[in-house]
Order: sequence, then structure tokens, then C-alpha cells
Amino acid sequence: MESSTSTGKRKIHSLFLTGFLLIFLSSCYSVRIVSRDGVPEPNPLNTSGNFYKGKKVNVIDKTITLKLLQGEFYLVENCASGGFYSIEYRPTLGGVLLSAITLGKKRQVKVKYVCLKQSE
Amino acid sequence: MATTIKHEIGSWNTFHNNGPFPTKVLYETSLESKGNMPSVNDRYNDAAKEIQSLIKAALDSQEGFRAYGSAWSMSAIAHQKDNMHYNAAMNLKRAVTADELAENTSFLQENLFFFQCGNVIKEISNFLFDQGKSLKVTGASNGQTIAGCISTGVHGSAWDKGAVQDCVVGINLINGDTPDDIVYLERHTQPALNDTFANRINARVIRNDGLFNAALVGLGSFGFIHGVVIEAEDRFLLNRYVKKIDKDLALQLAQTMDFENSDFQIPGETDINGKPNRPFHYKVFINPYVDDPEYVVEIMYKKPYQSGYPDPVPKIKTAVYRDLILLFTHIAENFKSSIPSLIKVLQASILPPIDLDVTGTISEIFWDAGYQGPAYACSVGIDNSDSPKALELLVNLAREEGPIPGIYAMRFVKQSGATLAFTKFPVTCMLEIDGLIWDPKDNNISLPAFCTRTIEVLQANNIAFTLHWGKNADWSFPGLIQYMYGNNAQEWIAYRSALLRKETAELFSNDFLQDTALAEYLTDVPDTLAQSIDL
Repeated sequence: MESSTSTGKRKIHSLFLTGFLLIFLSSCYSVRIVSRDGVPEPNPLNTSGNFYKGKKVNVIDKTITLKLLQGEFYLVENCASGGFYSIEYRPTLGGVLLSAITLGKKRQVKVKYVCLKQSE
Repeated sequence: MATTIKHEIGSWNTFHNNGPFPTKVLYETSLESKGNMPSVNDRYNDAAKEIQSLIKAALDSQEGFRAYGSAWSMSAIAHQKDNMHYNAAMNLKRAVTADELAENTSFLQENLFFFQCGNVIKEISNFLFDQGKSLKVTGASNGQTIAGCISTGVHGSAWDKGAVQDCVVGINLINGDTPDDIVYLERHTQPALNDTFANRINARVIRNDGLFNAALVGLGSFGFIHGVVIEAEDRFLLNRYVKKIDKDLALQLAQTMDFENSDFQIPGETDINGKPNRPFHYKVFINPYVDDPEYVVEIMYKKPYQSGYPDPVPKIKTAVYRDLILLFTHIAENFKSSIPSLIKVLQASILPPIDLDVTGTISEIFWDAGYQGPAYACSVGIDNSDSPKALELLVNLAREEGPIPGIYAMRFVKQSGATLAFTKFPVTCMLEIDGLIWDPKDNNISLPAFCTRTIEVLQANNIAFTLHWGKNADWSFPGLIQYMYGNNAQEWIAYRSALLRKETAELFSNDFLQDTALAEYLTDVPDTLAQSIDL
């Protein structure tokens, strides 16, 4: 027979695990911004079964290290058409923790974007 | 110079995964940059040279060659086993100039525009909007290329206007590898542009109604459609309503299209005498597994354009979880009796919301398609007067021999002049069922079997019909094309044989054309079929 102490510990563990999973999962959401009137740059070889199917996808997945006096940064990307069709940003728990631990000097960047199709 | 990338792909699939189909090579051509070649005509002609070099290589290898755009067709019409050409990057566009207009033409210069094959409907709409113009009609969404639209007969539900191909007044084809193989086709009874235009695109002009009408819905088999001249119109707005109305009234309207004298009224959509206005668009949704006394209908009225209306495209778009859709499909595969219940659950996500009235341009109303996954669609064309009877037959088919996971809809399209247009009746009702591809288990009917039974049921009940070229069907059904098109099928074959040489006819053929018995090449057709006719 289990003691009430071990049952209680198990409940606490379950609650902790549930809480951790909730935080972890909710921190992995993504936000996608799409141009209302834009036409995406096509890629016939992209057969992914999601929003990106048939589109040419560009991915930025890197960690930016800022110097002591640097407080912000921007990434310069080149779309031949001159514009973006969609941008998807995905914050992660790891990225948030990394930024917190390094006092904002290291920023994990996970961005997926599609350029506009060139208008001829 | 235009450049081409060669992908040795091994297999190819449609956008909605109706394959895969074994395929050797996929070509992808990009235009020369504007900076290096500023003239639109120069870049257009430069691209034509590139296409001719690809055609020559295919001819030399005795292989086939076929262009495609967005791959939205669910049939194998776009597929070619040897060489496929993806043309989406070929998207030049320009207005027609005054010196290009044919003498005594009935078209207004301001309404004529020249589009290269790879322009998708959305970019055409954007371009026209900036000129104060609009396409007359589109399909239910905006991602198809213009060449793909006209080759397969893409339509909306504009029963006073027709399908997308009915806006085309000129076609530029590349039929082979010689200078003589670049042709510009028009109707001789409705000339639009003169030889100045044809000379600018290095094309030989053929003005011939019969040839033009045959090539208009050419199934990708009259050559490489390089560009088309389109007649646009002033931009306009559509007032869109979604209502639930009495089933009998919905079917009566489908059968007669007599809105002006019907009991169906929408406040504000009446004339000065209080009679209902004539709608631009009418669509009826039918869940085959529910005996609902009311049907959901979508109806639109055309209005002059004015700015300042609320944006009809919602800022936040949501979609049903893809995993959920797949889960539902798997349940349906294993427990066919669950299909009606599952469709009822999904109905709210599939059908447009009732009483949500919006106003927008045609490109805003028929905006981006949401679903990117595997899908099927079966679509039959019938005379609208036959629509209640055909609906009853096909609903019974789905119930008694299915169920299959899908919902029916009826749209209505004005008759086309194209020889093989499936919109061939004075007003064609396109009765379609679409949904998710399923794997038949539990003794359920398969999609191919359902397609075959659709033909058999309509034939057994003496209902004249056609089938949408870009959708799922039993294309090898014996005598199908002859049943649907009669003499028009032979006429189409004759014009194709007159325009092409035997080797180029084979080049632009594919399994779909073989299946439909349209690949035949006639050696004894008169040359006049591919020559201009003087008025």
C-alpha cells in the first residue's frame, strides 16, 4: 500500500511536469505574417504539405551575439523582388532562457520567410 | 538571356497529391533581368527562343514536352513522363498599345492586356487593378496560372459571363522549334490586334474561328501557350451574401436561373420596381448525408467600384488542424458509417458562415486558397435545367454506394465558345463534390469506382453531361469523349492535326490525351483549317 506522502509527491511531480510541458509547448508557438495582396516566390520542388507548399522558403536559424554597447540588431536579407510575402517567427524556451542568462547579449533567431514573386 | 534549370526529378505530383507520376525531367525557366534587357517585348522573345531550344532538344530525343503552372489540376492533364516545364517565372505583362489594335475591332484598347503564360490570377488581378480594370471572372481562388486556367477550363459561377478562357481574345503558341512555329491565333470574326503586335512577338498570325476555338481549351496539347491577350473590364465590386434558403426554392433557381421573378429577395438587391436583381454569381451547397429542408446558398451582385468599403479579407485567418483533418480521414477510411457524422462535424469549417455579408473586388472575394493537402474533386457539367435531377442521382449514388467524404456544390457558368469547353450548355451547372482523398477500407467505394459510377449513373438516366478537365474522373471510360462532345471531339482533333506536324503532335501529347482518345493525328485534314480566313 502506498503512503500518503509518496502519493502527494507523485501529484507534485505530475503538476510540475504538466506545468513544465505547458510552458515548454506554449513557448514553441509561431506567428506568421502574410502579405494580403502579395504573390509568393514559387518553388515547384517544395512538396511540404503545409502553408509553404510550392513556395520558395528561406530560413534564418542562428544566434546573434551583441557586443557590450550594442542594444539592437537587424538582419539584412535579399529578396530579388524587393519585398517579403510572409515572415514566420518562432520564439523558443531555449532562446528566451539564453537571452535571459546572457543579459540579452545572445539572441537566438528562428525566422522563416518567403519573398514576393518578381513582378515582370 | 533567359535561363533554364534542369531538375531530374524521377516523379512529379499535383498540388493536391493526386499522383505521384513517373517523370524524368522538370525544367524551370527564368527570364533575363529587366536591367539587362529593359524591353518587355525583347524579354518575351528571348524567352520564346529558350522554349524553342528546349522543344528542339525534346524533339531530337523523340520525347514529349509539356508546360504546366500551379499544378492545381487533379487529373493527370498536366503530366508528361519525359519533360515537364514549370513556367511560373515567365510572368511578363503589359497593356496593348494603340498602334497594335486591329482596324475595325470591336474591342477597346483600354481593355486589352497581354500576359505571359506564368502569370497567376492574383498577379493579373493586381496588375489590372492598378490600371482601373479587372478580370471578368476567375475561379474560386487565385493561384492558377493563366495558361493553366484556359487549358483546363477554370470557371467560377458567373452565369452571365463564362469561364476564364472566355476572356481570351488572342493566343500565342509555340508549336515547335522553327520560326514558323510561333503563331498568334485570333477569331477571324472578332479580330483584336493587328500585324504590328504579331511582328513584335515574332509570330505568324492565323485568324480563324474554328482553330481559335479548338486551341482555346487545348488541354495543353496545341503547343506551348506562351502568352494570351485578355479582354478586361472596368473594376467592379461584388456584394456577397450567404443564406440558408428553402431547398425547393434553391433548386428552382438552379433550374431556371429566373431570379427576377422569384420569391428570393435580399433587402437592397432589388430594382426600382422592387423586383429582385439578377445576380452575378449563384452557388448551392449540399451535404448529401443530411435531409435538410434548407440549403446554404452563396449569391453575389455586381456593383460599380467605389473605394472605402471594409476590407473583406479578414486580418486573422485560421484553419482546421491539418492533423485533425487527417485523423478524420483515417476514421472515415476505417469506419465508413462514420463519414456522415464527420462531415456534419466539419461542416461549419467547410461551408461559408451564414449571414456574413461582405463586399469586395473579384480578387478579394475569391482570395487565396487555404488548404494545401491531399484532395480530390469530381465535377460534372450539365444543363442547368437538369440540375435538380442530376443532383438527386448523384446524392443517391454517394449515399447508397458510398458514403464518400465530401460535400456537393453547384455553380453555374455561361456557355463557352471553346470547342472542348465543358461549359457547353447555354448555362452549365457544374455539379461537384470535393473533399479529402481517402483509402477505401471496410468495403467502402474507391475514388476511381465512384468516378466510374458517376458516368454510368448519368448515362443510364439519359442526362447529357461533361466532365471538368482538371478534376478526378474515369478518363478511360469507353466512348466518354464522344458521348460528351460528339462531333466537336473530331473537329478538335482535326484542327490540332492541321496546326501541328506529326512529330510535334506527339511531342505535345501525354497519357491523358491517350486515355481520352484525343491524341489521334489525322494526316488528311485540309490545310485551310490552320490558315487565316478573310472576312
